[in-house]
Amino acid sequence: MIRQGILIVMLLAIFAVFIVSLSDLDQLYQTSADYFREYGAEQTGSNNLVTAILLDYRLFDSLFEAGILLIAVSGIIWISKHDIEEKNARFMLDKFKTPDLFVTFSRLVYPLMLAFGFYIIVNGHVSPGGGFQGGAIVATAILILYYIDAEKETNIGMIVTVEKFLYLTILIIASLSIFTRGTFFTNVFPYDTHGGSNQAIYLVTLNILVGFKVALGLWAIFTAFLKEGR
Amino acid sequence: MDPMLTFLVILIGMYGLSTSKNIIKSVFSVTIIESGVILLFLNLGNWRGGSIPIINGAADIIADPLPQALMITTIVIGSTVTALALMLCIKVFHHYGTVEWREILRRGEGK
Amino acid sequence: MHFIPVYLIFIPVLTALFLYVVKSRHMNWLALVAQALMTVLLVLYYRAFSGNYEDTMIVLGGWNEWIGISLVNDEISVSFMFLSVFSWWMVLIYTFEKGNTNHNFLFFLMFLQGVFLGLLQTNDLFNMFVFMELITILVTILIAFKKTGDAYRAGLFYLLISKVAMMMFLLSIILVYNSFGTINILLVRDAIAATDSLTVVRFSYALFMVAVMVKSAFVPLYAWLPRAHGVAQSGISALLSGLVVKGGLYLFIRLNQMYEFANLNYTDFFYWIGALTAVVGVMFALSQKDMKQILAYHTISQIGIVMMGLSKLHDPDMFIGGFLHIFNHALFKSLLFLGAGVIISAYRTKKVTDIRGVMRTMPFVSIFMIVGMLSITGAPFFNGFISKAIIKYGVIDSGVRYWILFIVNIGTATSFIKMSQIFFGPKTMTIRIRKPLKNLTLMSLAFACVMLGNFYIPISEGFFGFQVRTIDIGTWANFFDYFLALSIGYVFYRFVIAPDPKAVRYIREHKMTFQQANYLFVVMIIVLLTVFVWW
Repeated sequence: MIRQGILIVMLLAIFAVFIVSLSDLDQLYQTSADYFREYGAEQTGSNNLVTAILLDYRLFDSLFEAGILLIAVSGIIWISKHDIEEKNARFMLDKFKTPDLFVTFSRLVYPLMLAFGFYIIVNGHVSPGGGFQGGAIVATAILILYYIDAEKETNIGMIVTVEKFLYLTILIIASLSIFTRGTFFTNVFPYDTHGGSNQAIYLVTLNILVGFKVALGLWAIFTAFLKEGR
Repeated sequence: MDPMLTFLVILIGMYGLSTSKNIIKSVFSVTIIESGVILLFLNLGNWRGGSIPIINGAADIIADPLPQALMITTIVIGSTVTALALMLCIKVFHHYGTVEWREILRRGEGK
Repeated sequence: MHFIPVYLIFIPVLTALFLYVVKSRHMNWLALVAQALMTVLLVLYYRAFSGNYEDTMIVLGGWNEWIGISLVNDEISVSFMFLSVFSWWMVLIYTFEKGNTNHNFLFFLMFLQGVFLGLLQTNDLFNMFVFMELITILVTILIAFKKTGDAYRAGLFYLLISKVAMMMFLLSIILVYNSFGTINILLVRDAIAATDSLTVVRFSYALFMVAVMVKSAFVPLYAWLPRAHGVAQSGISALLSGLVVKGGLYLFIRLNQMYEFANLNYTDFFYWIGALTAVVGVMFALSQKDMKQILAYHTISQIGIVMMGLSKLHDPDMFIGGFLHIFNHALFKSLLFLGAGVIISAYRTKKVTDIRGVMRTMPFVSIFMIVGMLSITGAPFFNGFISKAIIKYGVIDSGVRYWILFIVNIGTATSFIKMSQIFFGPKTMTIRIRKPLKNLTLMSLAFACVMLGNFYIPISEGFFGFQVRTIDIGTWANFFDYFLALSIGYVFYRFVIAPDPKAVRYIREHKMTFQQANYLFVVMIIVLLTVFVWW
C-alpha cells in the first residue's frame, strides 16, 4: 500500500515536470508543417502529405517498418511451432459455434470490406489512406472468413514466402531511383519532367505492394494464433 | 489541455506495469503507454489547429503531417510487438501452466 | 563509393531474405560470401574516408536534410562497424554447419547485422527508434530460439521492459521535434546550442537517458540481462553480450554529443552510476554457480567500467579508456562465452562446481579460455589491462574513485579464480570432440585479445584517431596492482566465497520480479529528473 502511494506521488511528479515543459514548448513550438504545405505535393506528386512522407521523404523508415512486420511474422511462426516438451499444453479442442446471424452478416460484409480496403490502398496518394492502413483493412476482411468457416485451412508457409518476395520487390522498387535520380529511396520518376502523373504510378505501385505485404503479414500472424488455439 | 490528458494515459500505463501481477495485464499496460504516446504526438502535431494534411486547393493551416506518418510506423511496430508478446505469453502458459509473474519466476529455478 | 553505408545495411538484409526464400543446403555459404563482401566494402570505405569524415553525410532521397533521413559516419561509428562485422564473422563461423537446413536462425542473424549497422550510421532520431525496436524484436526471437520455458520467460521479460524504455525514447523524440521542428541529430545539436537549457530540453534528456540505461543494463535497470544472456545459445549470448548491449552505450555517446551544448552537468552522475553498476554486477557474479550467469553478470560489471570511462566525454583520456574497453570487452567476452559454449555442450552441465578436468580433456579450448580470463581480469600484456589502466590513469588523483576501480578488479579476479577450478582435476571425458571451426573462432578471438594488448598504440591511433602515446601504461605500479588484486582475490575466494555462506546464497537466489523492475524504472526517472531538471 505504501509502495503504491509512493508510486502515485512519483508519477504525479513526472506529470508536474511535463506541465512545466509544456509551457516551455508553448514558446518554442516548431513544426515542419509549413515546409510540407509549401513543397510536399509538388515534390512528391502526392496530395496526401502523410503518404508523401511515408513513401518518399522517409521511405527508409517505411522499409524497415515493413521489415519489422516481416521479422515478427517469421518469429511468431517459429515460436508457435510445437515441440514435445510442452507438458502443460491444453488444447481447445471443442469447436466454438459462431451464431448464424453473425455468419450471414459476415458473408454480406466481407466483399464490402475487401473493396473498401482496396480503395484505401489505391487512392492512398490523393485521399486519406495508404498501403499500411488499407493493408490492415484487407487483412481484417480476410480474417472475417474464419468466422464464416472456422475449419478453413491456410498454407502458412506459402503466405510467408510470398510476403518475403513482396518485400524483396518493395526493396528493389525503392532503390530503383539510384538509376534515375542518382540517390537511393525516393520516387523513380524525376519530378520536373512530366508533372504529377508519372509520380503517381510509382506511388500507387508501392502502395499496392505495401498493402498486400501488410495484409499477408497480419493474416499469417492471425493464422499462427488460430493454430495455437486449435 | 489535451496533451496533459494524453500524458495521464501514459502514467496510467506505467502504474499498471508496476502493480499488475499478470503477464497479460503487463502486455496491456505496455499497449496503454504506447497509445498514450501516439495520442500525445498527434495532439502536439495539431496544437495550433488546422485542417487535414491533404492538399486540395486552398488550405492555410494544416496539421503537421510528420507526426501522423511517424505514428503509423509506431502503430505497426506496436502491433507486432504486442503480437509477439502474446505469442510468448501463450508459450509461457504452456510451459508453466500459469500467467502470474511470481509463479513463473519461482518455478524456473529448478530447471 | 559514396553509397557504401547503404550497401552495408542492405547486403545482410538481402542475404537474409535469399536464405529464407531459397531454402537450400548450399545457401549457407551465401552468408559467408556476403560477409566477405561487406568486409571488403568496409575496408574500401575506411581507406576512402579515414581521417576526413566531413563528407560522409548521405541524405536518402536527396531531400533537404531538415526533412529527410540522413546517414553520417565518424571515427566512432566506423570503428564500431569494424567491430560488428568482426563479431558477426566469429558468430557465423562458430555456428556454421554445412548440412544445416534450418535457415530461420541465419535469417534472423543476418537481418540483425544489417539493422545494427543501420543503427550505427543513422543521423535521425526516429530512424534510430525504428532500428532499436527492430533490434529488440530480433533479439527477443533469438533469445526464445531454443524454445525452452526459460527462454520464453527471458524473452518476454526483455521484450516488455525494452518496449517501455523505447516508449520513453519516443516520448523524448516528440518533445525534441516539437521544440526544434526537426529530428536530425546534428541539426538538433545546433538548435540546442542556440536556446537556453529549458525544462523541456532537460526533460527530454532525462527520458533519453532512462531508455539508454535500460538498453545497456545499468543498475538498477539490469534485471533483463542475466536472464536473457544466460538462456540463449552460446553464439547468441556472445553476440548479445559482446556487441548488441553496446548499442545502448553507442546511443549514450551519440545522444550526449547531441546535448553537448545544453549545459547539463552529467559527468559525476554517470560516473557514479557506472561505479554502482560495476560493483553490483561483480557482487552478483561472485554469488553465481552457473557458468553463463557468471559471464552475464560480468557483462553488467564491465559495462559499469566502460561507463566510468565514457562519462568523462570531455576529458579525452578517460573517454578513450572507456571507448577502448568497449572493444576489449567485446573481444574477451565473446571469447569466454563461445569457449563456455564448447565446454557446456561437451559436459552437458552449466554448473561450475560440476565441471572438472577441462585442461586435460580440451587443451586448446582451455588455453583460449585462460587468455580470455587473463584479459577480463586485466593482466599485463592482455587487452583488458590497457583500457583499465587508461581509466585508472584518469582517476588516480581522487582517492575514492580509484579504490572503487580496485575493488571491482578484486571482485573480477575472485570470480575468475572461482571459475578456473573447472580446468583442474583428472580427465573425465574419454570421447574426443573435434570441432575445428569452433577452435578457429576461439583462436582468432584470443589472438585479437593479445594483439590489442600489445600493439594498442598503432591500432588506436589508426582506427579511432586517439592519441594514447602520452599515457604511460606499462608502469610497475600497474603490474603490482594486478598481482595484488589477484592475491587478495585468491584469499577472498578461499575464505569467503568457497565455503558458500548464507549471504552469498541469499544474493544468488535473489531475482527481481517484473513489477519491481518497473517500479525501479519509475524511481530511476525520478532520480534523473532530480539530477537534470530540478538541480
